[in-house]
Amino acid sequence: MTRHIAWLGLVLALSTRSTAQAPPSRVNTIGERWPFAADGSVRIVNPLGRIRVIGWDVDSLAVGARGPGRLAAAGTAGVRTLVVTGRAELEVRVPRGARVWVKSVSADIDVVGVDGTLDLNSVTGAIHVVGTPADVTAETMGGPVELAGGTGRARVKTVSGGILLRGASVDLGASTLSGTIVVRAAGWQRGGTGVQRGKFESVTGDVRFDGELGRGGIVELESQSGAIALRVPGTTVADFDLLTIGGSVTNRLTADIAQRGALRFSTGAGGAQVTARSFKGSISVEAK
Amino acid sequence: MMCSEREAQLNEYVDGMLAAEARALVETHLAVCAGCREAVAELRALVDGARGLPRAIEPTSELWTGIAGRIGKGERGKGKRWWRGALAAAAALIMGFAIYRLLPSSAVFYGPEVDGWAAAQIDYARATDELAGALALERDRLEPSTVALLERNLGVIDAALRESRDALTRDPGNVELRALFAAAARQKVELLRWATRAAT
Repeated sequence: MTRHIAWLGLVLALSTRSTAQAPPSRVNTIGERWPFAADGSVRIVNPLGRIRVIGWDVDSLAVGARGPGRLAAAGTAGVRTLVVTGRAELEVRVPRGARVWVKSVSADIDVVGVDGTLDLNSVTGAIHVVGTPADVTAETMGGPVELAGGTGRARVKTVSGGILLRGASVDLGASTLSGTIVVRAAGWQRGGTGVQRGKFESVTGDVRFDGELGRGGIVELESQSGAIALRVPGTTVADFDLLTIGGSVTNRLTADIAQRGALRFSTGAGGAQVTARSFKGSISVEAK
Repeated sequence: MMCSEREAQLNEYVDGMLAAEARALVETHLAVCAGCREAVAELRALVDGARGLPRAIEPTSELWTGIAGRIGKGERGKGKRWWRGALAAAAALIMGFAIYRLLPSSAVFYGPEVDGWAAAQIDYARATDELAGALALERDRLEPSTVALLERNLGVIDAALRESRDALTRDPGNVELRALFAAAARQKVELLRWATRAAT
């Protein structure tokens, strides 16, 4: 009897020990696919890990997930929701014209080749978009945001992350508190129309606009203490209105000289309107 | 239904911000687009409604008693979070209104409204306190790294606001300074709203 109790104790002790040493949760690998409308709407929630959304020319939605987190999916061929509890590496393929809504905590969000509307939100993750979506809203508190390829309309907000907007876009808005904003906007000769409307705001981060202005476009740049730098083609036709209260204005585009931090000049009628305002940052304008 | 690509332009049209040429183009479009005409009518109604808003929005004493009572009991749970969400939303509404007033209106360009400006700053300070209070109750739900990021950037924005406010003390009628102060205030609003949303 005593021997039996001893064996039982040994077995229990070993099982307890093996449980304690086991990984907190096992790794799941999931692959699912559903029919999906070409302009369907997909909502993705994945707090930790990574989210990759890829547009494809197929009317179906496919998801591959790997990680300890659990994936729950629900919806129809028009609207589908994918929610991860825990951590997962998520890859979702959607029709190119789909509307995509993504929310994460620290997971990075990558979107490639989606032409529909994107609404991407993270607390500290990075957001990267490559392609030509019609409309992008991207917000992250601590991560950077990069849009490459061009969009019809983009609204980007960060707190400390840098913002890089590249490509031929028409309507751009970017706002950051301590990050840097860099806009490299392609123009007509590369198939774009130049920026028709742009508003770029920062508190301490620098703002750099390096691109082409759409004819009749309106571009506003604003900072509290960050430097504002404009580089535009020498042939740009625009009215410039530059003002810094505590900084300096440098003009290398024309011979006009700033007085007491203010400079207004025009390179021709009927062009774009460019306004730059800073509390104590410097403002410069030069030819590309 | 409004033409979505014209949304921004119609807003500027209603605000009277468009140049003559752009305004004429919009009016030509409005003549043939019922959806955009309807949108313009709605925007005008909204702007008129905003003009009629009171200078300050005082919450009822019953509301505050209820909220204070619930906070004082130290309850945790969905009900409390709902109240905090409501509090944050109310603060955001008040702050949004304050920021709206902080922004230079066309009237400011022709004559400074010192009383309105001072009242707007008081609204802003009160609303910021309320939203920060709502956030303080939920901050333990945020990751420590997010809290650190938040505090660092609140420090940055507060320093920027202090500088702008000091400059405004020296030059109170400066419209550009007011606009920069309003922009920085809006950034703080966004940051607090963001953090509150992330926490709840």
